[in-house]
Amino acid sequence: MADDQSFDLAGCLDRVRRRDQIAARDLVGHLHPLVIRICRAHLPSRVAEEDLAKGVFLRMFSRIDQLQCAVTSTHWVSRIAVTTCIDQLRAQKRRPELRWADLSEQEAQVLDSVTAGEEVAPDEAVAAKELVQKLLERLSPEDRMVIQLLDLEQKSVAEISALTGWNQTLVKVRAFRARRKLQRFYRELNERERT
Amino acid sequence: MSDFDKAWERLAAAARKAPGAADDSAPFGFSTRVAALAFEAGRPEPSAFGRLALRAALVACLLALAAVGVNYSAIKGAFADEPPAAAGDDPVSEVVNLAS
Repeated sequence: MADDQSFDLAGCLDRVRRRDQIAARDLVGHLHPLVIRICRAHLPSRVAEEDLAKGVFLRMFSRIDQLQCAVTSTHWVSRIAVTTCIDQLRAQKRRPELRWADLSEQEAQVLDSVTAGEEVAPDEAVAAKELVQKLLERLSPEDRMVIQLLDLEQKSVAEISALTGWNQTLVKVRAFRARRKLQRFYRELNERERT
Repeated sequence: MSDFDKAWERLAAAARKAPGAADDSAPFGFSTRVAALAFEAGRPEPSAFGRLALRAALVACLLALAAVGVNYSAIKGAFADEPPAAAGDDPVSEVVNLAS
């Protein structure tokens, strides 16, 4: 979406509604960066990001008549992307148990560091991200989404509410419960290390 | 703030620093494929008359099946009561009788 200024979104949407395939192609190209970033952030394991993005765009085209105003289209597409990700996560019912043996050497080191109250070294950021993803995979899709948006993407409760359609109280309650569950998984992981 | 909350905050802060994927643009051919799929999947809905005709056809099928069910014994009886061909009506036996 780098060429935001020059792209005529309203005109493009009009042409897509008239089933103009070239306009649809342009629209996908224009919205791809936004959609792919959301897909990458909430990607279930064993699902290719391209397949997930394709699902988002197909859902978007099937509902394109619902979009009244081009100004709100970015938010509308983000919301479709988020709900598609939640649906994909729901479809993946299995939530694998996380054991110390499943962690890579770097992930284990990161876990040791944060448990000991030390800062994680900058070169261990990727390992920290992978460890976080492994912990989040154990949560329900809704809990995972709220933690991802709140703690990793640092969105406000109001923004999460707008993106997911959940009211703000529900977002706060989900975040609280999700953190408690994470705490349990984190404790189990650390306890198993010692046994 | 509990120990876990502090540890989680440090972990999340470190995870946020991880570099994202460099390229966000659509892969070659992706937009064309998705646009083609979207219009292929979004075929126009059948007209009101089409929907009505489909429902009428379904109702007609159900009525036909119900009619067969209700009249099954009559239909079966009609075939069972058919008298067997009488021996006297057999033209071959008639010719044989004439010859003798």
